[in-house]
Amino acid sequence: MSAILLVAIPLLAAFISILAKKFAPYLLIVVGLFNFVILFLLPDGFVIIGGFEQPLGINLLLDTYSRIALLLINGLIVIITFLNLGKYDKYASIILLAMASLNGLVLTNDLFNLFVFLEISGIAAYLITTSNKRPLKTFHYLIIGAVGSSLFLFGVVILYSMFGTLNMVDLIQKIQAVDNYDQLILPFILMFIGLGVETKLLPFNSWVKGVLGKSNTFSGPMIGGVYAAAFGFVLGRYITNVFVFEGNLLLVVTVLLCLGIIIGEAMAYSSSKAREILLFSSVAQASIVAILFVNGIILWAVYYIVAAALSKTVLFLVINKATKDKGSDELNDLQGLFVDNKVVGLAYTLITLSVMGLPLLVGFVVKINFLTELAIADQIWMIIVILVASVVEGIYFVRMLIKLWYKGDNEISVKYNLSFKIVFVVIALAFLVFGSYKAPLTSLDNSIDTVMEVVDNG
Amino acid sequence: MIQYAAIILFVFGLYGLLTQRNIIKMIISLNIMEIGLFIFIISIGFVYDGVAPIISSVSETGLLFVDPLPQALVLTAIVIGVGTTALALAFAKSIHNKYQTFSLDEMEEQL
Amino acid sequence: MKNLIGLLVSLLLGVLIILTLASSPSFPEFGSVDINDRVAGEYLDNDNVEEVGSGNIVTAIVVGYRGFDTLGEVTVLFISALGIALIFSDKKQKRLDLKFKPNFMLKTGSRIVFGIILITSLYIIFHGHLTPGGGFPGGVMIASAILLLYLADDKFRSNIKGFKVLEGVAGSLFVIIGLLGLVIGTYFLENFIPVGSLGELLSAGIIPIIYMLIGLKVGSEISGIVDNFLTEGESA
Repeated sequence: MSAILLVAIPLLAAFISILAKKFAPYLLIVVGLFNFVILFLLPDGFVIIGGFEQPLGINLLLDTYSRIALLLINGLIVIITFLNLGKYDKYASIILLAMASLNGLVLTNDLFNLFVFLEISGIAAYLITTSNKRPLKTFHYLIIGAVGSSLFLFGVVILYSMFGTLNMVDLIQKIQAVDNYDQLILPFILMFIGLGVETKLLPFNSWVKGVLGKSNTFSGPMIGGVYAAAFGFVLGRYITNVFVFEGNLLLVVTVLLCLGIIIGEAMAYSSSKAREILLFSSVAQASIVAILFVNGIILWAVYYIVAAALSKTVLFLVINKATKDKGSDELNDLQGLFVDNKVVGLAYTLITLSVMGLPLLVGFVVKINFLTELAIADQIWMIIVILVASVVEGIYFVRMLIKLWYKGDNEISVKYNLSFKIVFVVIALAFLVFGSYKAPLTSLDNSIDTVMEVVDNG
Repeated sequence: MIQYAAIILFVFGLYGLLTQRNIIKMIISLNIMEIGLFIFIISIGFVYDGVAPIISSVSETGLLFVDPLPQALVLTAIVIGVGTTALALAFAKSIHNKYQTFSLDEMEEQL
Repeated sequence: MKNLIGLLVSLLLGVLIILTLASSPSFPEFGSVDINDRVAGEYLDNDNVEEVGSGNIVTAIVVGYRGFDTLGEVTVLFISALGIALIFSDKKQKRLDLKFKPNFMLKTGSRIVFGIILITSLYIIFHGHLTPGGGFPGGVMIASAILLLYLADDKFRSNIKGFKVLEGVAGSLFVIIGLLGLVIGTYFLENFIPVGSLGELLSAGIIPIIYMLIGLKVGSEISGIVDNFLTEGESA
């Protein structure tokens, strides 16, 4: 029972599924549930592949940080597939490969292996977005993704030629041994750009508007929820352990991320289409996550990613289903959506209030804690930026909620299946419960990422 | 010398991607960029007076070999580049079916 | 104007990279690399070579030490072929109508050359652990032989269903060999077949078997891609 099964079993299922196309979606749900269950049984630690010890071979690292990420990714994929059974069945093999590659991304301890999984998950994302039937936007996404991956490979190769190893733990030990920082700026920038393209950081996110702005109930939650969460976790692991931001580089990166927050919220405020509001809010959230990792606030960044992924999945599902039935996603056309769908509306409202950070919901707990940590670290400007962004966010979300609850003279009739409603209610209740019952959240601390611990103990 | 040539190829490809307005030319620029990258990767493994890393029962001992790891990395990266290019060309054919042209300017006029 | 900005950005990036690498103390000069500083020193060590059993060190790395990366690479080709079939999935397909019509000499001559190319590619795949080459170049040569048949005869269509089955079976066998390593030994993709002596055709444990599977898989995938590009839907 080793963690490699999380990657190998979905791969095997994908290779078999093209021989038996009719059973592919059910195979997908079975494999997803299997992965979710064995995550509770696997022990922590390194998993060596091929029998060659470090640093000769490749190995995977399973610790609490990866465990949270894997539970989130596999669980969300099962939920999204279950809700979309019947309409998107031909994408089942691709989702199996996306599941395998996202699991591998979070688990791997080797830089070149990360590049290979980055490419697999990228190609799976391009194919998922073909369900939007917009080939030009998908092509744009493909070109930007390919350039980003090439830059990442360039950075990895420069690090190999300097230090002679591709294993992450070994590389960190060698970097600490040499102590020259200026030569490392170039590979770190290249790798950061490569990861930043998929994580929607500014200025590499010109693909987001085209891809998520015209999404449907399948590609919207996958790209906006699952992929955003997985790449957020990967970026977090690399920012905390490998990249060292000091001096001028730290200033440039911080300014860029703060600009990302401000511009994301500004564009969401000025838009009148529901899908665009949600996707610009995702862009801003990605930049907030990156800033938290740069400042070392690992635990609350992880909770923020989990809350953001769950909330964006539900929000995208609600809006995209309504858009498909109504035909347009202008807020004026969707007025009064919740008048006939009170349960869905209540869940949507609770989740939106949590994203805004109102008390009694888990979003408030997460925001207060990371703002406190930022204050301890004396980062006054970042606190000001995040508070201003929260105010703007509050304004446009409340505006959206008002439009969706009050009917005016708009004719709208959207039906949500029972399975949709159950998922929405469960997630909204979870946000409510963890807003008051904080004990399980505060029982962990920043040591959930054990890479530095392994590096120090040799 | 060859490392400068590889970086110049990489920059050519990037310039092509930033300025070309024809889909097929963008795919070709992406390929040029990747080729520059691959040549750079192989060049960091070179050792003067080194031979190919193949050990057989008739080879002498004490030979100086070149670094085999960048060659293995490039093997994987070339195949990944082929997969991406094939997918990009399939999207180009699909775009051509929809818009009857390969030029981005003409497509923007049609919208 | 846009061209000028693009030119400046690219030139800036190139100059930045060259200057940084030239002035960096840890980045070695071209050609004066000390292999023993790197992981590759361990790969070339004689004891490790005997243990893995493959004379071609690049093959030992690609299939042995970094076999997981190779599994990922095979998956990239698989998902590309799957995606192209998905984009072009249509009703019954017929060959694309081209303006060039091949003649009798071309059609017959190409069948002879097809046989020669096929034999060469199988030789390269089988000897992957002794000479340069291996599964990937061999598989692409199989696909190029099929492409030759497509180009030389405008009514030819290969057996696509058979290729899909071959692709799925070869991929599954690769993962199953890895899982067998987990069950019989203790690690995924561990070598559980006796290694034999260096330089023989039947040596190096699971490496020739995996390369054979990779060669078949790559050949059938790229042939599938070629077929998808050279056909169009029935209803014009």
